[in-house]
Amino acid sequence: MTDSVGDGGLAARGYSRPAGRPFWRLHFQRRITLWGIAFVAPALLFFAVFKFGPMIWAIELSFTSYDMVSAPTFVGLENYRKLAGDPVFLASLTNTLVYIAGSTVLITVVSLGLAMAINSQVPGARYCMMAMFLTNLMPIIAVCLVWRFLLHPFGLITQLLAPFGVDRVDWLTDSRTAMPAIIAVTTWRFAPYFMVVFLAGLLAIPRDYYEAAEIDGATARHRFVHVTLPLLMPTIFFVVVISALLSARIFLMPYIMTGGGPGNATRVLSMLIYETGFSYLKMGEAAAISVVLFAIMLVFTMGQMRLFMRGERVHG
Amino acid sequence: MVSKTNSTAGAGPSRRDVIRGLGAAGLGAATFGVAPRTWAQARAPVNLSFWTFENPQQRPWLHKRIRLFMEQNPAVKVDFQFFPFGDLGKKLSVGFATGTAPDGFVSQDWFMPTWLAKDLLAPLDVQRLGYSSVQSFSDDFTQAFVAGATKDGKVYGYPLWFYGFANYINTNQFKEVGLDPDKDSPKTWAELGEVAKRLTVKSGERFTRQGFKFAMHAAQWTMIQFNPILIQHGAKWFDDAGKCTINSEAGVKAMTVRASIARTYGAEDPADSIATAPLPQMDWLRERASMFFCHPIPPAAIASQNQKMLTEGYYRPVQYPGVEPGKGFSTTYGFNLVVNARAPKEKQEVLHDLYKFMMSDLADCWKDTAPFTLARKSGWVDSPEVRQFPHVDEIIKAKDQGVYLPRTVVYNELADAVHRGVQRIMLNRADIKATLDEIAAEVDRATEASKRG
Repeated sequence: MTDSVGDGGLAARGYSRPAGRPFWRLHFQRRITLWGIAFVAPALLFFAVFKFGPMIWAIELSFTSYDMVSAPTFVGLENYRKLAGDPVFLASLTNTLVYIAGSTVLITVVSLGLAMAINSQVPGARYCMMAMFLTNLMPIIAVCLVWRFLLHPFGLITQLLAPFGVDRVDWLTDSRTAMPAIIAVTTWRFAPYFMVVFLAGLLAIPRDYYEAAEIDGATARHRFVHVTLPLLMPTIFFVVVISALLSARIFLMPYIMTGGGPGNATRVLSMLIYETGFSYLKMGEAAAISVVLFAIMLVFTMGQMRLFMRGERVHG
Repeated sequence: MVSKTNSTAGAGPSRRDVIRGLGAAGLGAATFGVAPRTWAQARAPVNLSFWTFENPQQRPWLHKRIRLFMEQNPAVKVDFQFFPFGDLGKKLSVGFATGTAPDGFVSQDWFMPTWLAKDLLAPLDVQRLGYSSVQSFSDDFTQAFVAGATKDGKVYGYPLWFYGFANYINTNQFKEVGLDPDKDSPKTWAELGEVAKRLTVKSGERFTRQGFKFAMHAAQWTMIQFNPILIQHGAKWFDDAGKCTINSEAGVKAMTVRASIARTYGAEDPADSIATAPLPQMDWLRERASMFFCHPIPPAAIASQNQKMLTEGYYRPVQYPGVEPGKGFSTTYGFNLVVNARAPKEKQEVLHDLYKFMMSDLADCWKDTAPFTLARKSGWVDSPEVRQFPHVDEIIKAKDQGVYLPRTVVYNELADAVHRGVQRIMLNRADIKATLDEIAAEVDRATEASKRG
């Protein structure tokens, strides 16, 4: 039954089903392939319906005016044109980029530092790791509410700074400190998770490399720069990409801690999407903002992947 | 054909006869089978969905009335859902978008223009609600309030609660600083600042007690508290062409007054309120603030935070300050029972009956939800329970004198822009005129967008 010309060379590799042979008597490899497709199909279907479907619909909506009640009407690039001249959107975009950059850098540096400290086998390191990881188990709403009180102008954090002559800091209500405060809480929340990722990467580096470097007279700094960092590069890229993607989608933290304020100081794009869509009933415009956010993250991720692949080629 | 008929005549019924018989039997069965089913459908259960917002007094009363209605009408089942106050509008929007909006719901009066502009509400049959005409219906309520629920001569909302804000003062703290709560409650904005300053207690930079407190936590509170200040100073939210005029000279003056309690008199800490508990009146209830503009506060709410204050009664609502003494007024607002235009006709009719039943015992409503005043003019004001409620005349006066929030389809955009602007002015000491210009520009953009559709 199989056309040897049109089967993509399967026949030549022995995957084809000889004429008259029933399905259950196919070649083993062919059956494995078909079973594989059968197992993957539900997941593919899930992604198509619940992931890619809504994404495509969102892109389509971004070219429409849609108030969630009447049928969407096509407006071309009008939503994007409006966004380009909207100061609230531009402020939110800037906030989002600042937040992504700040939290990604801090999460990466802090989690790497924590992983190296844990990896140095100091007594009690394992318990410290467990304690730090607990921050990931707390519901994010509880985290935000607790930090709201800790960051009160006269809260615990300010009191800890009292010996340095600080008697009041409006952490969450001053536009200069609100975004750094949220970035710090984000780091507190997510760094321990990525610490575990880094720890796995560090444990995978053979001890022999460090011993050889030590014999060659390399200092601790040299060993870190020339052994640890290059071998940890894939993990670093992973952490950077994932934490940046997490940061880009952040919503609850600024929403609960500052409500996007003061003014627009901590309003990020995901909050703006929510407000524009559900509060102002401008779903077309909200979709356009989400497409912009998606485009930013796509470009960022592709850039990271290119860097990563180049790094792989260099080190591979 | 004839021979065939003849040939089968003696052998019993023909195929035609059988078909006829079957047809007749089917028709008979259908006739006798359908008739009882039609009757059953008329008596079939009606399942309604009804949404409201959470309020510790109002929500339980609504639920109670619905339960009573269901007991009296066993065929009617009402799925009662409630949401946080600020979320109800968003939930409804999503509900309308996804076809899961409730059959009936309670709408805040400032959202009525949004629903009406999109034809989402069904006109109410006032006769089914017990009124002879639209005019008699309108006459039963405060004219300006019911006007927000009517369009083109049709009524779309059955007014439920309707109340005004008042200045709640702590009379003990007044006496403590040598002020007479009866005579010295602030009558003008300048007096508010001076009195608040006297009531303020500080320990270094930190306020032990704020003389007065504006809510800073939510856009709706910002709007309700600022609205009368703006109007008292002769400003308008919009001009006749629909352009936002908050940045007019009068608007700047109003915002300067709003900011003066903190900036000029140093009697409040705007940053402090952001982190306080979700109840905006919490600082006043806990006696950390001496005065606070608030809706009527139920005794249960006071008791939950400060039993002593309730027992000893050292608080009272007084009217808002004014530009001139004795001419102060606050924001007044209310809630309507409405019907989803997309609900089936049968459900719309049952909802009318439900609403009529709910509103048929206003004394019961007052008993459970006092001191939230009702929109209807009659049927509750003279009841002994109302008359003996502490300071009820002040509460009713606030309702009767109050001004409404702007009725606009861009209300949410306006409220958010004003709230963000107030935050910048109060927390970051932003320039008032420049900030109001930004607010006006933002609102005008939203208005333009809404006109384009």
